[in-house]
Amino acid sequence: MYSLGVDTGGTFTDFVLSDGRRIRVYKIPSTPQNPAAAFLKGVRELCHPAAPLFVTHGSTVATNALLERKGARVALVTTAGFESVLEIGRQNRPSLYDFEVEKPPPLVSRENIFGVHERALYDGTILNEPEKREIEAIAEAIIARHCESVAICFLHSYANPKNERLVEELIERSMRERCGNSPLPISVSHRVLPEYREYERFSTTTVNAYVSPKMSVYLGSIEKDLPEGVRLRVMQSNGGSMSASAARKAAAQTILSGPAGGVIGAFEVARTAGFEKVITLDMGGTSTDVGLCDGSVSLRTRSTVAGCPIGIPVVDIHTVGAGGGSIAWLDSAGSLRVGPQSAGAEPGPVCYGQGRSLTVTDANLCLGRLCASRFLGGRITLDFDRANEHMLKFANDLGIPADMAAEGILRVANATMERAIRVISVERGHDPRNFSLVAFGGAGPMHACDLARALCIPRIVIPRNAGVLSAFGLLIADVSRDFSKTVLLRAEDTSIPQLDTLFSPLEEQALEELTREGFSREEIILERRLDARYVGQSYEVTIPAGGDFLSCFHSEHLRLYGHSNGAWPVEIVNVRLAAAGRVEKPQFSPVEETRDSFCSAVVGKSRMVFGDLKVDAPIYDRSELHGGNRFRGPALVVEMSATTVVTPEFEAGVDSYGNIIMTRSAGEFQ
Amino acid sequence: MACSSMVDAITLEIFKNLFGSVAEEMGVVLQRTGFSPNIKERLDFSCAVFDQKADMVAQAAHIPVHLGSMPLSVQSAVQDVPMEPGDVAILNDPYRGGTHLPDVTMVAPVFLGEPRPTFYVASRAHHADVGGSTPGSMPLSTSIFQEGLRIPPLKIMAKGKPVPDVLSMFLANVRTPEEREGDISAQLAACATGGKRLAEMTARYGLDELKSHAAALQDYSETLMRQCISRIPSGRYGFQDFMDDDGVTDEKIPIVVTITVEHDSATIDFSGTAAQVKGCVNAVLAITVSCVFYVFRCLAGENIPSNSGCMRPITVSAPLGTLVNALPPAAVAGGNVETSQRIVDVLLGALAKALPRQIPAASCGSMNNVSIGGYDCIRRRPFAYYETLAGGMGARPDKDGVSAVHSHMTNTMNTPVEVIENAYPLRVLCYNIRQDSGGSGVRRGGDGLIREYELLCDSSVSILSERRRYAPYGLDGGKDGRRGENHLFRNGEWKSLPSKANLDCRKGERLRIMTPGGGGYGR
Repeated sequence: MYSLGVDTGGTFTDFVLSDGRRIRVYKIPSTPQNPAAAFLKGVRELCHPAAPLFVTHGSTVATNALLERKGARVALVTTAGFESVLEIGRQNRPSLYDFEVEKPPPLVSRENIFGVHERALYDGTILNEPEKREIEAIAEAIIARHCESVAICFLHSYANPKNERLVEELIERSMRERCGNSPLPISVSHRVLPEYREYERFSTTTVNAYVSPKMSVYLGSIEKDLPEGVRLRVMQSNGGSMSASAARKAAAQTILSGPAGGVIGAFEVARTAGFEKVITLDMGGTSTDVGLCDGSVSLRTRSTVAGCPIGIPVVDIHTVGAGGGSIAWLDSAGSLRVGPQSAGAEPGPVCYGQGRSLTVTDANLCLGRLCASRFLGGRITLDFDRANEHMLKFANDLGIPADMAAEGILRVANATMERAIRVISVERGHDPRNFSLVAFGGAGPMHACDLARALCIPRIVIPRNAGVLSAFGLLIADVSRDFSKTVLLRAEDTSIPQLDTLFSPLEEQALEELTREGFSREEIILERRLDARYVGQSYEVTIPAGGDFLSCFHSEHLRLYGHSNGAWPVEIVNVRLAAAGRVEKPQFSPVEETRDSFCSAVVGKSRMVFGDLKVDAPIYDRSELHGGNRFRGPALVVEMSATTVVTPEFEAGVDSYGNIIMTRSAGEFQ
Repeated sequence: MACSSMVDAITLEIFKNLFGSVAEEMGVVLQRTGFSPNIKERLDFSCAVFDQKADMVAQAAHIPVHLGSMPLSVQSAVQDVPMEPGDVAILNDPYRGGTHLPDVTMVAPVFLGEPRPTFYVASRAHHADVGGSTPGSMPLSTSIFQEGLRIPPLKIMAKGKPVPDVLSMFLANVRTPEEREGDISAQLAACATGGKRLAEMTARYGLDELKSHAAALQDYSETLMRQCISRIPSGRYGFQDFMDDDGVTDEKIPIVVTITVEHDSATIDFSGTAAQVKGCVNAVLAITVSCVFYVFRCLAGENIPSNSGCMRPITVSAPLGTLVNALPPAAVAGGNVETSQRIVDVLLGALAKALPRQIPAASCGSMNNVSIGGYDCIRRRPFAYYETLAGGMGARPDKDGVSAVHSHMTNTMNTPVEVIENAYPLRVLCYNIRQDSGGSGVRRGGDGLIREYELLCDSSVSILSERRRYAPYGLDGGKDGRRGENHLFRNGEWKSLPSKANLDCRKGERLRIMTPGGGGYGR
């Protein structure tokens, strides 16, 4: 059975095809004006003649619509007296010391917000029911204003959705009467995110209304040109996938999916190689995404994208603006800065031939950490002399030798990434010394040794095809759905049968939806979780909803926050159900490790600089390296999608799955 | 370029990152381990690193009003408490390094092989209650003795062990001792984290390297600040504005400033400001310095690291016994939240004369503090609700002001309506933008907001607000923002309330707060 992962990035669209035992990778330039073109071209070229059965797609269509504010014209129908909830937000400003500060531009303009005289209370009591005539007038106004999508968001609808349902029905009916069979898509807050805190719920719902029409058009344009019988799935931010038809209505679920595929792929590779605790480092052209898996992929439920809170579960990733294309510059008080501006693909780094600003990639090239003739499998030849010339000039301004300037650029970029790793590990209560670093993306494997050394991370894993690992992650992602409901119950008074009553409607819905996606009961995994807190707190801790959930809460609170108190009352805020349909994953069998010589893997030498040490280090072609091969740094390993730098302190070995595993050389350990 | 021999452009950038991350990690520990909503949700705390001379090396970006006032706390602690390894000092006395009593500061020495501390680390958090006449310790007071327990610099840890006498004395004087104890241990944990990180950095880079970079970073900020000030034309620039009243008498209270810019340095003189007042709106010097620091930090841009170097080119002169440098036993609870905003307004008003078309018009100018408390007849327990409400931001020369947002010295978040109604006997009837409250002009001031509460039980209500009499000013011909209004619905009709009020209210009565809009810009 063939399955395919397609990851659309800013510069390249990556493809990973699996027949269940082996994979093939492919990379073509993206077509940002019409992302479907690169997608379909790649599928045609890679999958000829046999079409894959499943295609899982990582798309940034919804993300870009939100970032660039190019989504649908949304009508927001909300409780009268609370029309400004989205504009007020949490009343804070995004930067503190800034006279020019702005709130992010709103998704809905003031004239498209409609207040309804209705009210529910916190305990679910309906104080006022909406009047039919008022709703019909609103429906008429929505059509007259040429809105393309509708969001319905009422106060306390998580406690009682009756008014939201009623208004949804009335609006749908009046629109059908007026515009025939193509009523506008409607996003309703108790379905998108049935959790309390109105701003976060309204925002998530409105984002969904804003991006879904774009996503729907985009997926339509792909589906009509895909070979018959191919089933299209779309990656979600929570690390699972969903069917294209579900994604058309719930595109908000895809907004943070970009870096999620990489974490899923990295964790799977590491787990297969025997490592369950990993820090993932995905370094691309403009930014670096860092994640952490402590036996499982970490999720979080509070994120903000382009100024809009999104309350659905997403893979916990910390992003910093340091990538291969980040520009180096000297500020007015004499400090060397790197980023956040990026040279992007146009004009690109100096060594691409057009750019005039030095980047991290140029610094790597000047120091011999990139091979000019073997970048992207030789598709682009890097201009070493041009980069060197610019580096000399830059170094001159600093009054230091060129090598030192280039190393300085790398050290500053590494300091930014080191801080990102500390955020995701130390600041979340984890010690990086107990983890392995999985580095990937085009540039991650060039910086892994320096970062591991700085943070005392004992082991580095560089997966095969490190530059397209995100697409591999798409291929193996399970189909998943998250369900939740705010309950606000005292934990001490809540019995297990009571929890069963709360979870069972969610479970029924989950089973029904996943069965419709073609999964049998045996392939479906349901996980019950609770968001709980001490009474009076405002942040929740997510724990498994087992019989011992109370003691579990206290110990998790202790682990995360350093204290707990068994005598304090506990409140269950939300019940959560994570449902997954298991997809078949490619089974890689380990190859027997060899002790053969691997002279044939040496394809050249690179003049590498490490401080005072300047050496001609061997360049290995990764496709000629085999399980069991071992070598010491300094060395360079090239493959089509990435370059791995082995620094002098490190020793590298290839494991039986083809991963490069690097550890500090024995003499180097302290 | 200000560089010592070991410092170059590269290591300077790396140490900027390192010292900054020490302060930020301390903040994360404090937020994670802290207990009260003030710390966890509203993020009302700060953490910083200081050098041997108690000059600030780095501070995490948290609450502006803490920015300039932390060094005074550390200096006061270092002066009064001889510190040995394992010691931690605690203080909150506004007259000995504090700001107002709820802000409790801890200072810990960091010994790195030298006979005296090489660094100090400090954490400050706004505690939900430190005793005094009303829950929350933010009363409409007339002396500091009504505002809570005063702690001069004392050891709360000695040689690594807690000092039980100090802790039990403190806990006996506050309303929620368990919560206080939790917050204190969170602050201690933050200080411990800072000390540990500095020790790790010393092991990696060496002590001399650390010390020279701590100094170089301050030089770096000083250079950036001098570059910023030298862009202001040399000269004298004055401005005056008024506080509505002090909540006790009806008199308006002038704040006067004269800024003298000479090449790349500035003197800020508050002569002419009103004498300290009977009510609670007096500010101690630490707050006034914070406001000056805030304004100049905004002028210098987001990239300047917060450290003592920023303030080297700036001299603050505030006459003793005035509203902006109060003497004991003046009441100071509101100086932090209300007076600080007006000090910023006069500083910006003066700078607008020096830097035409670069300074925004006046923002809302009040934190619009609302406290409602009493016995919750529905949930059958006592309750206390406290919140600050945002207003309009002043218009900028090239863009409108932002609506319904906290400006200048605060940035705390709101409490969601659904959370309020779940937790307190209150129903929110309206929470909206206050349309057309921003001053008109070529660029409009941001609008304030309206929040209306219905009381579901008998409750006591207190309001501490400003800009109900004197409107936020417009600039360059722009109109003033609309003044704020406070109303009470009682016996079938709406009544107007003053800017500061304590009220006993009955079930069914309604309170409506309409916050000021920002001033407009240009005619």
